[in-house]
Order: sequence, then structure tokens, then C-alpha cells
Amino acid sequence: MASVTTTQVPGMTGDFDNTLDDGVSQAPLVLGEATFHEVTRKICRVAEAPRAPMAWYVAFAISTSLVGVLGVMIAYAIFTGVGVWGNNSPVFWGFPIINFVFWVGLAHAGTFISAILLLFRQKWRTGINRFAEATTVFAVVCAGLFPGIHVGRPWFAYWMAPVPNVMGAWPNFYSPLLWDAIAVFTYTNVSLLFWYVGMIPDLATFRDRSKTRLRHTVYGILAMGWRGSAKHWQLYERTILILAGLATALVLGVSSTVSTDFAVSQLPGWHETIFPPYFTVGAIFSGFALVLALAIPARELFGLKDLITKRHLDNLAKITLVMGSIVTYIYMMEFFIAYYSGNGYEQFAYLTRIMGPYWRMGWLILFCNCVVPQIFWFKFARTTWWLALPAALLCLVGMWSERFVIIVTVLNRDFLPSAWHNYAPTWVDWLTFAGSIGLFFTLFLLFCRFLPMIAMSEVKSILPQAAGHVHDDSPADAAGH
Amino acid sequence: MSTAHNIDPAVSQPQMYGLLAEFHDVQTLLDAAVALRKAGYKKWDCYTPFPVHGMDKAMGLRPSILPWIALSGALGGVFTILALAPLCNAFLYPMIFSGKPYWGMPGHIPMAFALGILGGTVFVVHGLFVLARLPQFYHPLFTAERFRRVTDDGMFIAVEATDPSYSPSATSQLLTKLGAAAVEEIRD
Repeated sequence: MASVTTTQVPGMTGDFDNTLDDGVSQAPLVLGEATFHEVTRKICRVAEAPRAPMAWYVAFAISTSLVGVLGVMIAYAIFTGVGVWGNNSPVFWGFPIINFVFWVGLAHAGTFISAILLLFRQKWRTGINRFAEATTVFAVVCAGLFPGIHVGRPWFAYWMAPVPNVMGAWPNFYSPLLWDAIAVFTYTNVSLLFWYVGMIPDLATFRDRSKTRLRHTVYGILAMGWRGSAKHWQLYERTILILAGLATALVLGVSSTVSTDFAVSQLPGWHETIFPPYFTVGAIFSGFALVLALAIPARELFGLKDLITKRHLDNLAKITLVMGSIVTYIYMMEFFIAYYSGNGYEQFAYLTRIMGPYWRMGWLILFCNCVVPQIFWFKFARTTWWLALPAALLCLVGMWSERFVIIVTVLNRDFLPSAWHNYAPTWVDWLTFAGSIGLFFTLFLLFCRFLPMIAMSEVKSILPQAAGHVHDDSPADAAGH
Repeated sequence: MSTAHNIDPAVSQPQMYGLLAEFHDVQTLLDAAVALRKAGYKKWDCYTPFPVHGMDKAMGLRPSILPWIALSGALGGVFTILALAPLCNAFLYPMIFSGKPYWGMPGHIPMAFALGILGGTVFVVHGLFVLARLPQFYHPLFTAERFRRVTDDGMFIAVEATDPSYSPSATSQLLTKLGAAAVEEIRD
């Protein structure tokens, strides 16, 4: 662990460029005064400040208003019927499924950072993993909302579960829609448990620093009496490692399962073997763009520049670039296979994407997902907020449009031209979507204010002074119990 | 050596829990852990704000059974689906879907995969809490004022009074010799 030295110069602060590698020593991942106590103080002060920054209140007011709009829109749709949405023959899926697939995809970066980067021992993940995991949990909440209301009669949603009932009806275990429900249910639970277990030591820090009885009680209950015992740490680290292994399989599995909703159907444009990796890569791409777009304002707003450094932004942008390039490759491959298959329906479906009624969105996707991320080849763009932030937001626009185009352009051109009908979302669709964004940001802002935004114990463990050497070559005998 | 100062006087004859020694750096703590183990102590533990690399080796902790708990949960999830799917679609209400067999394993793999992960996760998290005996909202160490820093920057070793090798003076001297910055008695 201590074999590679880390340069740690006291004068370096948040604006220091730690993206350079000299090949001898590791660039520091924690800037400023990097003592254990200083790490605790910097992270805790966000949650312990008597007042949040003004921008927090403004953002929170807007977000909660949108949640109110969401509630009204859901109530309106359920009491009136799903006819208030634009979904109609032949495009029955429309916004609810577009938004579902989009939000599930956004969730993937958190799992990727906390699971795959942990298995690869990427130390820089410690600065951003906690709030990336939080985006996972909240994005899954937003995702789960849409299929729930899309059924139109949510009080029958339990029919998806194998509940014994008087009709003797059971779910179809061959249906991708059921696979999807189980995959998302699993994802919700696993990401929530992963997030919570990872947070326990930091909640204990909040408990021990609390000044009021209320905070002490609430954080005390959440921390479960954590006391930093070495025996506990051993179990805890093993748990996190196992969870990372399971979540790595899951992060590759969830969007793959979501893609089977499409790939298992018989429609040209959907019935493709490339769909599972295609959806997964797209999901990770949009997820990293989201984490990048959130990290940039968060480090400015909460004074966390010493912990979420330029190197973190640099790495996030690099992964966004890699994923964006894989997405580009998959687009090329899709069009190539459509051409090479010689299948007229397949070719028609792909020409419809870029020349049909939604050609503007088709080209917008190619611009946002293929051209825009290429800016991240340049380090100046990766580390400059006014370039990286708009680029990340454009990637998000591109991925949402991709979900739109995949769903709508396949359905609106049915096999018989007499059945062709274009899809147009209604104002209820748009406000429901806006409401889900509000829900995400409400949860995220509450998280920033009341929970440990950065994994303190993990950041401390990567500081140079956290490493020691065990001077003992005798075989270990049992100590403790 | 200072004594614990925040004991409730209403509690008569508080039981001795043990000694709490504070250390100021990771290397001293690791060396002290090795020395304590070699001195034959059995009921003691280190307390740190972050996982210390190599501590299980220094303390001689055995690997836990958590991986097996996770495996049993994962297999439980997988076999739940592999049994539930034919139970529902082949026995309780036999139904042909798209000409597929009643009991067709490939179509059940995606759900078995997801539920296997769910089972492994739920089991390993519960296994963590059971093996670590958490939640535990009271612990004698929480009575020590300095122990509040264990989640910030404090590093400690606590030796329990029930340890056969424990002696208030000798253990205290040993801890001081091993580099403890402060040693304090903890009463339950």
C-alpha cells in the first residue's frame, strides 16, 4: 500500500492542478491540510452549518415545487385515466417508458464507481463514490415511479408478484417485463443497502460530533452504535468487497435486462443482440455525465474543492469520453448491421431514425453523444467547469433523446402504413417528467445537507499517514474472539 | 494514568470494563497490536476512524464466514426462482407462452440472476450485523470523552478486564511502553 509515495505539499489547495503524473510519485488526491481531523471537519461542516448556502435554498424551493407538480400530475393521470398522456396507438409506450429507461441509466454511474472502481482499487473513487451512490438510489426512485404509474391502475401493480389469488393467475416468468420488474427491484434494494452500509462509519462521525440531542439521537440510531472496532472493520471491509462483486454483476445486468424489454420483442429496430451491452454502456455514459454535472457545482457550493479535486473531474470526464466513444461505435454498428442484414424492415427502421418525422432528434443524438464528448480529449475541457458542465448536460440531453428515439421511431412506423401515427407528448407528460427531475434534486439536496456527502473513512484511509507496516513474520495465532 | 471522569455517581460500584489506550499514529498502533497479541492477550480490540491495512494480520484475526453467508444467500435467490417459475407456470396454472416449454430454464435465468444478487446482498448485510453484534447502542467505551474522537482522528486499543492476562497496573504499563499517549480506566 505504501510502496508508492504520495506527494503531499501543505500549500496545495483546491485549485491546484493534481492531474499530472510524474511516474514516480502519486499525485495527491486530497489537497489542502490533509490531516484526519481536517478531512472530518471539511466534510462535516456542510451538514453542521446552521444555514446552507443561499443557492441551496433556491434550488430546494424549485425542486420541491416540481415535486408538488409531480404529485398533481400523477393524481390527475390516475383519476382521469392515462388518456391524459400522449400515448396512443401505435405508440403505447411513450414518456413513461422513455423516462424509466433514462432514469435507470442515470443510476449506473454510482454503482460503477462504488463497485467496479473498488474492485480495480481506484483510490480516487473515495472522493466521489458516496454522492455517486446517492444519485443511484435517487435515480432508481425516479425510475421506479414511471412503470408504477404507466400501468394506469397502480392498485393492481401487485399482480406482477406471484401472489396466490382467486383467479388462479400467475405472472409469466418468460416475460421480459417481469424480468425487468425483478431487476429494478433488486437494483433498488442493493443500491440502497450498499449506500447505507458504506455510510455507517460516517454516520457515527456525525453522531460523535453532534451538538444537539436530536442530531445525536437520529444519527446515533442510523449509525447502529458503530465504534470503529478493528473486528468490525474487518467484517465491514469484507462486506463492502462482496457487495462490490455482486453490484458489479448487477450493474452489467440491470440495463441488460431493461434492454430485453425491447430486444426480446419482434420489432425491427429493437430485435437486436447488441441491445444489452448497448443499453448498459449508454447507461454508464449518461450516469457519468450526471455525476460530472453534479460534482462541478457541489464542490464549488459546499467548499469541497480539496476533496473533489480537478483530478476527480478529469477522471470522470475521461470515463465519459470512453463510454461516449463506445456508444458511437455501437451506433455505427447498428447502422452497419441494418445495411448488411439486407432486411428491408430493419433498414427502414434505421433510416426512419435520421430521416423520419423525428430526424431532428436523431441528429441531436449523434451530435450530443458522439461529437460533444470528444471535447474531453482536451485536458483544458476536462478541468474547466464552463466547458465540462455544458458538455455533460448535453450528454444527458443526448441520452434522453436516444431513449425517446429508440422507443418512438420504432413504434410510430408500424408494419402497415395505415397504422402509422406520430407521437406527441402532452403537457401532462412534460410536467410529469419535470416533476421527476424535481424529485431527484429534492432528494439529492436533502442528502447534501443532512448526510455525509463524501465517504470520510474512505478518504482518510487513502491519506499517506493511514498506511503502516506490520512487523511480524510469525504465523498469526488467534487473538480476541 | 487518568481515571474515567464522567461516570454516573448514582450507579453503585461500577464494574471495571478495562483500559483504553490512545495512540497517535498508525504505525505505533500496528506495532502495539502485534506486541499485545504476542503478550498473550485475548480480549482486546483496536479502534480506528478508518480501516487500517494489515490490522487483521497484526491482531491475528481469522477470516470471517461472510463469503459463505453471501454464497448461501445468492444460491437461495437463484433456486427460489428456478423453483417458483415452474411452480407457477407449470404446476399451479399450466400455461403455454409463445410455444415455450412449461419448464424452460433459459427463460428463467435473467430473474434467477437478479434474485441471486439480491439474496447474496441481503444475506451479507444481515451477516455483517449479526457477526458484528450491531446495532449496539450502548458500549462502556462510549462513556470515555476521548473515545468520541474514534470516528474523527482518534486511534485506540482497549483491553478488557475479563482478559486472563489483564492486570490494572501491568497492562497499563505495557500499553504506555508500546507508545500509548494516554491510558484511562473504563468502568461499565
